[in-house]
Amino acid sequence: MKPLARQFRDFFVSLELTVVLLALGIILIFWATLAQTDLGVWGVQQKFFHSFFVLQRFGGSSFPFPVFPGGYFIGGLLFLNLLAAHVYRFKYTWRKTGIWLAHGGIALLLVGELLSGLWQQESQMTFTEGQTKNYAESFRDNELAIVDTTDPKVDKVVAIPEALLAKGDPIQSPKLPFRVIPKFYTPNSVTVAPALAQGQASSMADQGPPFLRQFVPLPQPVTYKENEKNLPAAYVELDGPEGPIGTWLLAEELVADPSAQPIQMPPQHFDFGGRSWKISLRPTRHYQPYELTLLKVTNDVYPGTNPPIPKNFASRVRIRSDDGRDNREVEIYMNNPLRYRGLTYYQYQMDKASNLSVLEVVSNPSWRLPYVACILVALGLVIQFGLHLFGFAGRRAAARP
Amino acid sequence: MPASRPLVLLAALLLAGGCRRPEVTAYEVPSEKDPDLGLAPATANNTNAGTEAGATAAPAGAPMAGASMADTAVPVAEGPGLAWTAPASWQAKAAGAMRKATYAVPGPGGATGDLSITAFPSDVGGELANVNRWRGQVQLPPVDEAGLAGVVTRWTQSGLSLTAVDFASPSGAQRMLGAIVPYNGGTWFFKLSGPAAAVGPAKADFMAFLHTVRPAQP
Repeated sequence: MKPLARQFRDFFVSLELTVVLLALGIILIFWATLAQTDLGVWGVQQKFFHSFFVLQRFGGSSFPFPVFPGGYFIGGLLFLNLLAAHVYRFKYTWRKTGIWLAHGGIALLLVGELLSGLWQQESQMTFTEGQTKNYAESFRDNELAIVDTTDPKVDKVVAIPEALLAKGDPIQSPKLPFRVIPKFYTPNSVTVAPALAQGQASSMADQGPPFLRQFVPLPQPVTYKENEKNLPAAYVELDGPEGPIGTWLLAEELVADPSAQPIQMPPQHFDFGGRSWKISLRPTRHYQPYELTLLKVTNDVYPGTNPPIPKNFASRVRIRSDDGRDNREVEIYMNNPLRYRGLTYYQYQMDKASNLSVLEVVSNPSWRLPYVACILVALGLVIQFGLHLFGFAGRRAAARP
Repeated sequence: MPASRPLVLLAALLLAGGCRRPEVTAYEVPSEKDPDLGLAPATANNTNAGTEAGATAAPAGAPMAGASMADTAVPVAEGPGLAWTAPASWQAKAAGAMRKATYAVPGPGGATGDLSITAFPSDVGGELANVNRWRGQVQLPPVDEAGLAGVVTRWTQSGLSLTAVDFASPSGAQRMLGAIVPYNGGTWFFKLSGPAAAVGPAKADFMAFLHTVRPAQP
């Protein structure tokens, strides 16, 4: 074996690596637990565990520096360490079946966590009674949607992730007859009427309905709280072959009255190149080849309780698939989610006053792995301790006169 | 240090390969109508007839709307900056970036008032402008600086200056109880509005609630 290859093997096989990684894991979990105060559960997951490195910005730097190994790094190395140790160090004998099974379970747990982090997708379907939807919306991610609405039957959507707006570089898509140039972007904002902006900013927009274009976004700190949504805003210029078409203000919510519910910003329509378009900044949508219609919301509380104690939250929905195979009613309620075509719909929020229901839509192809892993570990431990127990009992019986 | 070489190589590999690149996507969906958003609110200076759909208060379908099952009734709530204690009978709803808390305030006969607590990062035009904005919402004429003192109640508590109002629409059908609290360079608004049948009986609770408003513990 060549020296470098041997170095690699010795490095990954070593028990010292296991100890160091476990120690780093303990520090990471401790640090992340403390950071939860400021970042919340979601923020901590992203920064510390679903990352190869914990990134930190120093001073006014826009470049984040890696300051500590993240969950993927530590977990990934532990996984390789475990595999390498079994390949080079452990010899299989039937008496070690338990250890092999338990270690296999741990390896599977690490793989399952990695796959969950990579594949799990959470979104929400929000609708009122009678409303039909064929998409769920992300709570965290947003997109710039430019839709060709020329065909009255089909919308041709070009969705640009928020991250590309944040980069600020011109965006070109073969599906669009113009370039998209982000002129301003903020990941969280309060977009206000000019009277409320008080000269803090002025609008850059020259397109869109005049009432909307005069609003101005005031950047706000990004929130990581579990139940708070960041509201991005941007000024986007569209640039055709013959020069700029114009600049639009894009935001999700507008504030005209600080003491009232914010205004939802509607898509803005325009014509270009003989086609009709609409443009909006919206939560990232995940479309499905079927639609759900909310038929009825039920919100029961135990009678006589004050504050009211919830007894039952339920949404009755009709599933209608595009291929015509399904057209049926389903009841979704607490602890009784709808599992359909790889997605799980949980009852999440409800507002009986407005007949509103919010379903949490979770896609996680690897959801069974942790269960299998735990069974393997338990089985391995039972076998291992069982062998010792029977061995001990056998020796004790043999030693009796 | 030869032992660290594999680790460095692996770290570089992971760092390079670990970045997911966002991409533009294109797809077709059945044609969708824009949500029926109705007319812009009267306070929003929407004098332009060219506004196609206009805009109005976010419909119930807005992501933050709806009561979480976990917090159907939350007697004590705390926002960053200010904290308060709400009566147990008020039902908390989910908050938002600017909307720090929302409560449904039940009244007799099924009538419900809506209490919103919002914070805004400036003085938002000043006290007179905000009081007149609220008066406009219940169809009352604006007051001038001299008339302001006659329509507000002021007091201080916990180092905060509170300005409270109680407005009823000329028909008597609608009522609004509100308070403006400047704090830390921003302005906090506490507004209970809705049918007079719900808001009127809740006034004692609302005033008691206002007296619990205090700076949050860091």
